[in-house]
Order: sequence, then structure tokens, then C-alpha cells
Amino acid sequence: MALKRRIGVFVCHCGGNISDHVDVEKVVAGVEGEPGVAVARTHMFTCSDSSQQEMIDQIVDEKLDGLVVASCSPKLHMFTFRGMSERAGLNPYQYVHVNLREQCSWAHTDDKGGATEKGIHLVRAGIAKCALTRPLHALRVETQPRALVVGAGIAGMRAALALADMGLAVFLVEREPEAGGWALQAGKMGPEAQHGPDVAARLGSRIAAHDNIMLYTGAELIEKSGSIGDFNVKVRVSDEDVVDLNVGAIVVATGFDTYQPREGEYGWGLDGVVDLKTFRQMMADGKLEHGGKALRDVVFLYCVGSRQSKSEACPAPNTYCSRYCCTAGTFAATTLHALEETLDQTVNQYHLYRDIRTYGHLEMVYEQARREGALFVRWDPENPPVVEQGDDRLCVKTVDTLAGSDTLEIGADLVVLVTGMRPRENDQLNSVLKIPESKDGFYNEIHIKLRPVETVIDGVFIAGASQGPKTLAESVASSLAAVAKAGGLLMKGYVDLEPLIAKIDTDKCTWCDACLKACPYGAIEKTVCGDKEVALVIASMCKGEGGCVPVCPHDAIDIEGFRDDQIRAMIDASLKEAVV
Amino acid sequence: MATVSSELAAKVKRCEEFNAEACYHCGVCTAVCPLGYGIMPRKLFRQVMLGLKDKVEEQVPAIYSCLLCRMCESNCPAEVRISENVRALRTLVNNKEL
Repeated sequence: MALKRRIGVFVCHCGGNISDHVDVEKVVAGVEGEPGVAVARTHMFTCSDSSQQEMIDQIVDEKLDGLVVASCSPKLHMFTFRGMSERAGLNPYQYVHVNLREQCSWAHTDDKGGATEKGIHLVRAGIAKCALTRPLHALRVETQPRALVVGAGIAGMRAALALADMGLAVFLVEREPEAGGWALQAGKMGPEAQHGPDVAARLGSRIAAHDNIMLYTGAELIEKSGSIGDFNVKVRVSDEDVVDLNVGAIVVATGFDTYQPREGEYGWGLDGVVDLKTFRQMMADGKLEHGGKALRDVVFLYCVGSRQSKSEACPAPNTYCSRYCCTAGTFAATTLHALEETLDQTVNQYHLYRDIRTYGHLEMVYEQARREGALFVRWDPENPPVVEQGDDRLCVKTVDTLAGSDTLEIGADLVVLVTGMRPRENDQLNSVLKIPESKDGFYNEIHIKLRPVETVIDGVFIAGASQGPKTLAESVASSLAAVAKAGGLLMKGYVDLEPLIAKIDTDKCTWCDACLKACPYGAIEKTVCGDKEVALVIASMCKGEGGCVPVCPHDAIDIEGFRDDQIRAMIDASLKEAVV
Repeated sequence: MATVSSELAAKVKRCEEFNAEACYHCGVCTAVCPLGYGIMPRKLFRQVMLGLKDKVEEQVPAIYSCLLCRMCESNCPAEVRISENVRALRTLVNNKEL
């Protein structure tokens, strides 16, 4: 250590969360003699406003150039103390966080002496690391004011319009020959009976008229490079033509697929067994008949392809609820009832369900369906309904679990399977975007509650049912959330990235490409330095993961903030004996 | 096995007083019935709506045993007019329309 450091060490009681099991005063006593320590003391809550102010005062008064806070997990308060350091005029990367709660007091509630000793070791290691910190600055990347939206269903179209209205240029890419997605086939959609194709057409005409949007139909995203704020993508727009686009952010709204029942599943394949999509079309056409016979009895069967359990017939079950089907089914009941009156035709409706999940305002649809005379019969997954060909029409057998467990035999002219949602099969796109998928195969967000539209790939956002089953209203809400995130990023004009990334020692590097192969983020490139080939870290793509460090045969790579000399110093410091 | 018949259902549908459609089978009516008839009233109405003629016929004594005390009705969260429904069923039975 060339220069004498002035480090402040602050140990937190966390109310008692830490101090009940770690003697924090003894920790302070055990570390105050460490090299470089200028101040060491405890706080009841280091994160409280008053403690932060005291620490700021001390950083200024004592001219501290390093800070160690020993408190909870850095997941909780790292950014709190980075912000505090900045306010005190200390470089935020010269602050080191020590986790004395999750990794010490909570883990050793039965051994206060041992926990205190461990606490001293941990804080000493933090001080040793802090002594070797140097000021770092966030990497500022300029963002391009253009966005790519993948998928022109209702969610994608709505996202494109919202981004374009912010003044950003938007490229909207749709694989099908026409924009509109599933709404084109939806007929009347619950709960307010909007006509799907009309909704799509209205958005389509606004998109066509918008100067900022370029819509490519029959097009596919085939390549992506670059990183947040500055992606280069290739879109195949026809058999011969590929366009190159440069965008700052990507919103993925590729939607869902409908569940395709297996042959024989609830009578699928029998004449008169259809899915809800087909039945909606029948209602939209205004003809309630099948095989030339007017419909008299219609059975709706819910939860087809949703909430499945693993079995021989179903080795890869969809365990989730598809969310939209209960509303779609009960809404079809009310549409059918209205049509009945228009056509002066009596149709008996039997809705065989497992549980009705018409949540929120949608409950009114269920209530209306019941009051209008649709009969709801609850079945048990242990004993599901059976659909068979009867003498002259279909026959559905089911046990009425709510009223006496009678086995009912219902003659049906039509059986409508209310099928659930599946993730889209889209290998080409997935190989380009590499967005992680959940175990169900839908795209995964970073945090289901707190970061619901961001992905681990910075600058790539997910929207709508590509992320999981959603109703149309929920899809649009999520797509506008993605717009807010993407728009916020692009309108600001720049993005600050963590500087804790890999650094290459070009003197040692001989370009063997081991690091290139080890990097899952594609952040390593070959470059020429003087007269030799060496590795180059693309700063905006490096996540500081460190996979490249141990594979380097010449020890030429270090991760800033976790450099080898720091780690060694931490090990040395923790090995010193601590007397409690 | 009970065969669902839409004929009885259609008859009941035409019957203005009968309004058991809103029932969601919470079972409060059965719990508060002072006669303790297990069948009364939700299961009975269900059988009527499903058109399970034979089952309903078995329940004729119960239909006439009802005191019309409206204990069930005043406790029904779905506002089913239970005693009116029972009276509507008595009319159907009297007219041999069941």
C-alpha cells in the first residue's frame, strides 16, 4: 500500500438483528487497529437518515477516502450506501459492504462468541479490500432513439404506438402476413363485447398513419448484436431481403399459442367437439347449428390444457392456470344467450368447470351468465368428464360434485373445449434473443413483482402473453409497462452501467481465446494492440461475472472491484487471529 | 346415472317465479333448514334445472314438507327466492307438469 488510507468502519446493530448474536462493540474493538482505519464505531441502524448524516459528516470531517459498512445483505442496502458516499463526496466504489446479518448473526444464533469472532474476520476482510479500492466511474453509454417491437398483436401494436408517440422511431416486426394477432380471430371479446378484428383494425390504421412507425409483416428477426442503448439487428423482410436496423431497446411481445388437445382428449377428434375459437366464429357468423341441425344443448368444458397434472397421457403438463379462459367461457355464455333471443332459438348451456376464476370485475360476467340460465357443473380432476359419441349426438358424462355427486349424462349437439394458452414455439427468435424461459416455457422477467417487464438482457423488455398467460387487458398493461421502461431508457439519452467489469492486461495477454469461449455474454472480442493480438472487453456487454478470469492461462484478466490483489488481501486479513 | 333433460329445464325456464340460476352452491340454505332435509333446497333446484325428472319426483314429499319459513331465503347470499321457487315447483307438481 503506497499511500496511507483513511477508512471509516461502521458496524450496524440492525436493531438487535445483528447485535443480539454478535457483540458489535467487540467487533469495533477488534478492527479499529487495522491498517488504514481512521474511524470505527457502531450505529443502531446505519440505514437510518440520522446515521447516514452522521456518517456523511464523519467522511467529510475526517477526510475519509474509504468506507466499510458492516450491516445487512448488500442486496438490501448497497445502493443506499453508494448514494450516501456520493453525497459525502466519496467515490461510491470506494465503499465496501460487509454482510454481518445474513452471513453472520442470523446464521449463528446459538454461538455469540463464535459469531463475534467471525464478525471481526469478515470486517477485517472488508477493510483489507477497501484499502485496495480505487475510484471508479459508471460507464456512460449513449442510447439510440429508436426501438424495435417484436410481434404485432394487440400488445405489440399498442407498444409501438406508445413509443412512437414519445417521439421515438419504432420498427414493428410481425411474422404473420397481417398485424393483429389473436384478436383477428377472437370475435367478440369479454367483458365489454368489443369486436377483436375491429380493435386490431383501429390500431392498424393508427400505425399506418404514424410517421414514426415502420411495420414489417411477414418478417422475422434473424440476428442481434450490440448492447443496451445500441443494438444492431437484422430483420428478414422477404425471401431475398434483409434490413439492418440500429435500435436502443427491444420490446418482445410475441404472445402465446392456443393449447392443441391430444386426439381423444375430452372427445377431441369427434364430430361436434370444437374449441372455443371455432365456437366464437360460429356465433360471429350468427348461425347456431352443427351438421345442419340447430343447436339445442351445448356443453362447455373448461380447463382444457390448463392446470394439468403429470400422467402417462400427459408427460409434460401445463400446470398453470391460463387466466383468460373462465372469462372467455362465461362471456361466450352471455353472447350465446343474446344470440338465442335474436334467433328465437332455445339453447341449453352446460358449463363443466373445475373452478371459476373470473376475478375482479370479471365476476359480473359469471354472475350474468348464471342469471341468464347457463348451468355450471363442477367436476373433479380425479374424475373428469368423459365425452363420447352417443346414438344420435354426443354424450357427456360428468359427476356433479356440488350437488349430491350424481353422475349426469348430458346429450350435446356441440361440445366446446375452452382451451388454455401455451408458450409460442419460436426457436429462431429464441436463438437470437436468448431471453431466459420459465419452466413453463414462457419468457422470464427479472422479478415477478418488482421488475416485471425487464429481462436479464439489459435493454430487452418482455410484454404481454409472451411472459405468461394474460387477458388482453393485462397484456396491454404489461406492454405499456415495457414501453415506460424502454421509453425512459431511450428518452434519457444515455445509460450508466456498472464499472465492475473485466479488464485485460494487454502485456500478459497472448490471445488464446479461452476467455472468449468462457464468456456467456459475448463481451470478448479480438483486437490488435501494438503488434500483437489481444482480447478486448466490450464494456457495455460485460456483466463482471468473472467466468473469464480463472480460465486465462496467463492471469491477464481481473474483475474491477474483485481484483486478485484484493481477494488475496481479504484472505490474509481473515486469517489473522481474532481474540474475543 | 341420471340423464339430463332439457324439457323440464325449458318448462322451468318459462316459469317466471323460478330463479335458482344465481345459486352458487354455498350450502347455507341446507345448513339453516329447520326440517333438516338434506336435499333442500339447493340440490332440489339443481335437479330441477338439470331436468333430472326421476330424482325430482322422489323429492315430492320434501317439496310439500317445506314450511316456507324463509329462513333459507333470508340467509341466501345470491338472493335466490327460495320459497317462491318451492311454490313454483308445487304448482308444476299439481299441474302434473313435472
